[in-house]
Amino acid sequence: MSLAMSRSSFAHGFRAMMPLWLGAAPFALAYAVTARAAGLGIWETQFMSLAVFAGGAQFSAAGLFGVGASAAAILLTTFLLNARHLLYGLSLGRVIALGPLERIIAAYFLTDEAYGVSVAAGTTSFRFLLGAELSMFVVWNSFTLIGALLGQGIPDPARLGVEFVFPLAFLALLIPLLRTRIDLVVAGFAGLVAILSARLWAGGVAVLVAGIGGSLLGAWLTRGER
Amino acid sequence: MSPVVVILGMAMLTYGTRLAGLALVGVAVPGFWLRFLRFVPIAVFAALVVPALPGDRGEWLVRFVAAVLAGAATWRTRKLWVGILVGMVCFWLLRLL
Repeated sequence: MSLAMSRSSFAHGFRAMMPLWLGAAPFALAYAVTARAAGLGIWETQFMSLAVFAGGAQFSAAGLFGVGASAAAILLTTFLLNARHLLYGLSLGRVIALGPLERIIAAYFLTDEAYGVSVAAGTTSFRFLLGAELSMFVVWNSFTLIGALLGQGIPDPARLGVEFVFPLAFLALLIPLLRTRIDLVVAGFAGLVAILSARLWAGGVAVLVAGIGGSLLGAWLTRGER
Repeated sequence: MSPVVVILGMAMLTYGTRLAGLALVGVAVPGFWLRFLRFVPIAVFAALVVPALPGDRGEWLVRFVAAVLAGAATWRTRKLWVGILVGMVCFWLLRLL
C-alpha cells in the first residue's frame, strides 16, 4: 500500500488512534466514577461524554459539581480549559482542505489526540481526521458507560499508571517534528512555560499559554525567512 | 441550575472553541502568523509532555528513564505505537525493581 493511501482513509485514521486507547479507556472510567461520586446520574455522566467530549474539562466539571460550584464557575473553567482547541483548528485547517459541512463535523470531535495523530501522519484527508476523531469518541463513550454503570466497584486505574500513555504519546508525536535548532528551542521553551503555568492553572490552560508562547517565539526566531 | 443545562452550556462553549479555528480557514494570514501556526504542533506537544512527565505518585525517575528509552525507540522507528509500547513496558518493569 502506498504512503498516500495510508494517510487518507477513515480506517487508517481510526487505527492510528488505537495505541492511545490504553490511556483513554481508564481515563474515561475514572471520569465516570468521579462524576457518579459527585452526584451526577448515569444519563448525565454519559451525556457529558457525548456532548462535551473533552476529558480534562469533564473531570474538572465533575469535581466542581461535587463541591456544589456555581454554573458560571463550571462554564468558565470549561471555556478556559478548552480554548486551546482554537489553535488546533487553525493549525489543522491549513493542512487539511475541509468543506463547510466537513468543518462542522470535524470540529465536534476534535481533541488533543486527534490533532496530534493527524499532524504526525501528515494527512491532508478529512476521512483520516474523522477516523482518528471517532476512534477516540467511541472508546471515550464506551468506557464512560462502563464506569457509570459499575460506579465505585472498579479498581483505581491510577495505581497502574496508565495515564503515562499520554505524555509518551505526545513525546512520540513531537520527536519527528524536531528538525532544526529553532524547533528544539521552541519545544524547550514551551515545555518550560507549561511547567511554570501548570503551577498556576489546570492542564488545558497551561497548554494554551505554552502553545501560544512557544509559537510566538518560533515565529519571531524565523523572522528572516519568507 | 440543572446539571443537564450546565452540561449543554459546556458543550456549546467547547464546540465554539473547536469550530472557531476551523472556521477561520481561508482568511488571509500575514507571514508572521503563518510561521506562528507552523510552530503550534511543536509548542503544544511539548506542553502536553513536559508537565505530565513526572506524574504525581513519586515515580518521576522511573518515568523519566522510561520516557528517554521510549523517545529513543520513536526516534529510530518513527512509530507512535512502538514509542508507547517501549515506554509502558520499561515503566512497568522499572517500577517492579
